[in-house]
Amino acid sequence: MEGQDEFQPAVLPQEAPRVMRTPRGLDIALTARCNLRCSYCYFFDNEVVQYEDLPTEEWLRFFEECGRLGVMDLTLAGGEPFLREDLHELIQGIVENRMRFSLLSNGSQITAETASFLAATGRCSHVQVSVDGGDAEAHDAARGEGSFERAVEGIRTLQRADVNVAVRVTIHKHNVHRLEETTRFLLEDLGLPGFSTNSAGYLGSCQQHSSGLLLTVEERSEAMEALVRLERAYPNRISATAGPLAEARMWREMVDARAAGAPPIPGRGCLSGCGCHATKLAVRSDGRYIVCGLLQDDTLGRINEDALQDVWLESSTLATFRSRHRVPLRTFPECRTCEYVDYCTGNCPALALSLTGDAQRPSPDACLRRFLEQGGRIPETVVETAVRPDADRSRRTPS
Amino acid sequence: MVKDLVTNPNVVLRKEFDDWAVLFDPDTGDAVGTNPIGVTVWNALDECDTLEDLATVVRASFEDVPDTVQDDIEAFVADLLAKGLVGKVVEERP
Ligand code: SF4
Ligand code: SF4
Repeated sequence: MEGQDEFQPAVLPQEAPRVMRTPRGLDIALTARCNLRCSYCYFFDNEVVQYEDLPTEEWLRFFEECGRLGVMDLTLAGGEPFLREDLHELIQGIVENRMRFSLLSNGSQITAETASFLAATGRCSHVQVSVDGGDAEAHDAARGEGSFERAVEGIRTLQRADVNVAVRVTIHKHNVHRLEETTRFLLEDLGLPGFSTNSAGYLGSCQQHSSGLLLTVEERSEAMEALVRLERAYPNRISATAGPLAEARMWREMVDARAAGAPPIPGRGCLSGCGCHATKLAVRSDGRYIVCGLLQDDTLGRINEDALQDVWLESSTLATFRSRHRVPLRTFPECRTCEYVDYCTGNCPALALSLTGDAQRPSPDACLRRFLEQGGRIPETVVETAVRPDADRSRRTPS
Repeated sequence: MVKDLVTNPNVVLRKEFDDWAVLFDPDTGDAVGTNPIGVTVWNALDECDTLEDLATVVRASFEDVPDTVQDDIEAFVADLLAKGLVGKVVEERP
């Protein structure tokens, strides 16, 4: 990569960040199995990952440890977590250890019995179901025939049982021109209170299908315009912590700050684009601890062999991630002369890794300067929200 | 006031930084941050009969405790009660 030899990461000589004693939450891939093979899935097709499942007892033992350490929330994903035959038993283990949980699903395997069970626990924060369009054509394009109908049926089953449903729309080439219909379907036909959006990223299976999936600069501009317009029509009902809507907000703020000659934005100007590692950790389906579900390669130990608290407090990989926000963007050749450098966060480390081979540098995927140089447009005005993209906790999720 | 109170057994005392902590109720998802004095009160609540007993525990654990500490403890416990983090003991009917 151009200029990479000059790269000398430097950590500002500030006090080391304070680390809480244990993580507040964990993202857990309960299974490596899935009944679908979505073309943009970040979970599958990671060469270094052993796609295997742990037995019930291993997870139950680990949940006990989490409970003892005061972990509050577990996010159960996969693969498709509803494929675990022992799901009820596992969730019972979470409840008994005084934690809450949420599930990320493709919606296709949710039975009325399981939905009632989830509601009866009183601890299910929500089930997030992926819906990528307002009809089968838009949704099934990347997720496979028949998956739309089953996802919608899964949502209705959850709604009937009074389980909170969250919907995530992943935007890609096949649905980017259908955002109006998708929004109408989710908010009006299904009567959901809101939904969140992101976009397909160069991770996992998507790397093999990227040219047919990833948004071009023009499509990204179009998605931003459409989402900002829809957000105005449906106030507070469309959210985003990554993808075009989040980028529209962040980039508009950066462009306006630069135009006004504003002072540096606090917390920006360094690799501060992700703060997950301050409160969360992830576990792969084979029991290996990882920094985040999107960074599957670098393992930090194994559950039930390495104590969660030791990994949390002593992992050198986590320490590197926790000092990211002290690495100035000006250290990187590509950012040194950028007019936005004082307002930028350097973006997602997982995409930085997949696109540059190094998680500890800015990701070109969400580089504003590059986007503008390639002819990208940012909506003139965007709706302000309390959640900024750099405060993201769950950017891209499977299912 | 304290004898008839009991800490909610589902609530988790989660220490985060130094002796600061969060009281987390997994049934509601509510999390209330508290300082080291709050942590001491929480840990002593089930063993103490009166507000004076709690104030004594706090005075024994910290230096320079203000004279108003008992009032502060009363307000803190009332807040815990209002949030469902502690409950009232109910006598079973014979
Ligand atoms: S906009 Fe791009 S070039 Fe500019 S600081 Fe951010 S990542 Fe670097
Ligand atoms: S995105 Fe979800 S539903 Fe699709 S293949 Fe991946 S894990 Fe399965």
